[in-house]
Amino acid sequence: MGDAVFTPDIGFVRGLKEGGADTMKQCYQCATCSTVCDLTPADNPFPRKEMIMAQWGLKEELSADPDIWLCHNCNDCSKYCPRGARPGDVLSTLRKAVIAENAFPRFMGTIVGNAKLLIVALLIPVALFLALLNATGHLNIPAGDVVFNKFFPIPLVDAIFVTTAMCVVFVFAISVSRFWGKLNVNPYKLMAHSMLIPSLIETLKEIVFHKKFQKCGANADRTWTHRLIVAGFIGLFIQTNWAVFNLYVLKWETPFLKDDPNMMMILGSQAAVMMYYAVYKIFGNTSALLLLIGSLMLFANRIKDKGVNSVSSSFDWVFAVMVFLVCITGLLSEFCRFANNAQVAYPMYFIHLVCVFYIIAYLPYSKLAHMVYRTTAIVYAKMAKRDVM
Amino acid sequence: MSDEKGSAIVVIGGGISGLTTAIEAAEAGQRSVIVERNPYLGGRVAQLNRYFPKLCPPYCGLEVNFKRIKQNPKISVYTSAEIESVQGSEGNFKVKIKINPRYVNTKCTACGDCVKVCPIERSNSFNFGIDKTKAIYLPHELSYPMRFVIDASPGVCPGKSCSKCVSVCKYNAIDLDMKAETVEINASSVVYATGWSPYDAAKMDNLGFGKVKNVVTNMMMERMAAPNGPTKGKILRPSDNKQVKTVAFVQCAGSRDENHLAHCSSVCCMASLKQATYVRESDPDTKAFIYYIDLRAPGRYEDFLKKIQADASVVMIKGKVAKIEEDAETLDPIVTVEDIAGGKKITQKVDMVVLATGMEPSLKTANVSTNVKLDENGFVDADAQAAGIYASGVAKRPNDVTTSLQDATSAALKGIQSAVRR
Repeated sequence: MGDAVFTPDIGFVRGLKEGGADTMKQCYQCATCSTVCDLTPADNPFPRKEMIMAQWGLKEELSADPDIWLCHNCNDCSKYCPRGARPGDVLSTLRKAVIAENAFPRFMGTIVGNAKLLIVALLIPVALFLALLNATGHLNIPAGDVVFNKFFPIPLVDAIFVTTAMCVVFVFAISVSRFWGKLNVNPYKLMAHSMLIPSLIETLKEIVFHKKFQKCGANADRTWTHRLIVAGFIGLFIQTNWAVFNLYVLKWETPFLKDDPNMMMILGSQAAVMMYYAVYKIFGNTSALLLLIGSLMLFANRIKDKGVNSVSSSFDWVFAVMVFLVCITGLLSEFCRFANNAQVAYPMYFIHLVCVFYIIAYLPYSKLAHMVYRTTAIVYAKMAKRDVM
Repeated sequence: MSDEKGSAIVVIGGGISGLTTAIEAAEAGQRSVIVERNPYLGGRVAQLNRYFPKLCPPYCGLEVNFKRIKQNPKISVYTSAEIESVQGSEGNFKVKIKINPRYVNTKCTACGDCVKVCPIERSNSFNFGIDKTKAIYLPHELSYPMRFVIDASPGVCPGKSCSKCVSVCKYNAIDLDMKAETVEINASSVVYATGWSPYDAAKMDNLGFGKVKNVVTNMMMERMAAPNGPTKGKILRPSDNKQVKTVAFVQCAGSRDENHLAHCSSVCCMASLKQATYVRESDPDTKAFIYYIDLRAPGRYEDFLKKIQADASVVMIKGKVAKIEEDAETLDPIVTVEDIAGGKKITQKVDMVVLATGMEPSLKTANVSTNVKLDENGFVDADAQAAGIYASGVAKRPNDVTTSLQDATSAALKGIQSAVRR
């Protein structure tokens, strides 16, 4: 260690301070944070060392640090911090920096990571959708009963989102390999990769059961919030695939008429089709409600804390608002469709698709990217025998 | 020159700073008045076992000061007395004092017959509740005035319905009819020498005080180590009175902490180093662990730090203890800390933990209508006071005794100047 040469990156320090870690220079290295943290390994614990690394602008070392992802933002550290340095927020800001740094293409990380550029991020899908609707001659409010297929044809929706999803997978593949390469340096350089699958399984189990969250003290309410949001997203993912199954496998055209002859033939009776439709709708709406309640709890938790333990960055707020908007516009579109109010239903559906695009297309750059980065880091930590569970 | 009556320096607080200010002003010819809330003089210093770095007993210095008071007719002392109000301006303050009843008059010879018959016990505040006294008690061995006092707070002395002490007292020294009196003093200046209280350790919910039995504060440790203390100088842990072999000192317990006391209390490092010597002197097999953020031993105190560091049985670990739990069977406290230099989060089981709780300025929590201006931490802001209002000692800033004494002397001079200027 005596020979170690560190290169402080002043720009990086400034960026962190602007991005939500404005309190980090308050830290005087007492290590209360590492002591009260229940998620840190005992050997070389966090977040005390991350605090001084951030103060010194050690960008390289921090992007190679799996520990910032072992943190689940319980904020016990910030609650007990004698200096109001808020290590929880500093680590959250460091994670955001890692997401932006590994982003591909990099400018997308900047656009999504900077709340001031939110308008740009939203204008991209708006412009894209308007152009496509215009090109296909759908830039109008269709007459008759509200059927979204008439306004925004489903093949168009599929073309946009399947392409987007494939891009997201591709982008993540690049980002994760970059990220893994940065993680996999000394002191934790992996000797063997044979533990990958067991580590991945163990990690996924932890995520599903929220095992790490349950160790949280100061921010225990967040466990249920996160559970609801995760369940909501998984439910809606299933629902989307279910719709694809209905459309392309069962050949059931939207708006999923209950007297569809093909469906009646498959299921045997109209009553059975009704039942199938009801289960399908209840599942989708329940998932949406879980996500909506989760996002409202997210707001409630943040407001309740009043910035005592944590001050949410604009990065966090933007994402929380987008999750809320995706739910509320989706539900309103559905209700307006039932009410047959074309003037509201179609524009609402348009906004809903913009929000969905935001969530899916920007997944590798938004707060939601933690889903992949954190999973990767925890898998890595388990392989490197760095994780406490 | 000013007349005798209108020129007293009123010193609020009869601890080491207040005593020094009043005595030194009086020895320079200035009339002074000491107003002390407790029924005895000496304040926190009276509770200390030893001074650092010389490790001599504070009692001998107090004894000298009490002698100086007795010999000097220019000093008046009010004990069990509280300030009701301070009004006026330099040279012409009116200080209203409420003297609470002691129920024991000047005829008391401190023979102690009353204690033998008193049926009621009270928690001994002088020893931080480690032991008990009777409802009629002598505050401590070297009490000044050397007189008993009755604790008439609710639930303690029932008053005349008992009267056992009254009948046994040969000197008619006990008067259960005694009432509170109010006195108004003309003062040329007022010196706040109100000192400090140990910060309430129970407020730190992660350090276990009040829950983990064998966690005590540094001031409790002073009493335990004192020959006239509740354990007669033996360091016995609270749960089973076992002589302690291993002690963990937790520095900055509440100090330098925005959630508790934002300031550094300045003496706790030296106090813990000193207390490590209490532990080490009690038995060669003992071991002391000192957990710190920074060890503050300024100036010549560094020699003392080096002396303690030279003892291999005193282990100093950089890192603040932020969790203290109890072993359910042995009731041994277990401290958790990040050993920063060692790069590991560690736990250590010990016989007893001493929290180095800091100094909370008494004025911060006092409910007195005075015109004294405090800073954000509750200390007297020396630069913001009206003419004739001064402070000395820890009322002004956290300090050791030596520095407080220098400060007290300077306050005496300022008080004299306020009187002479008129």
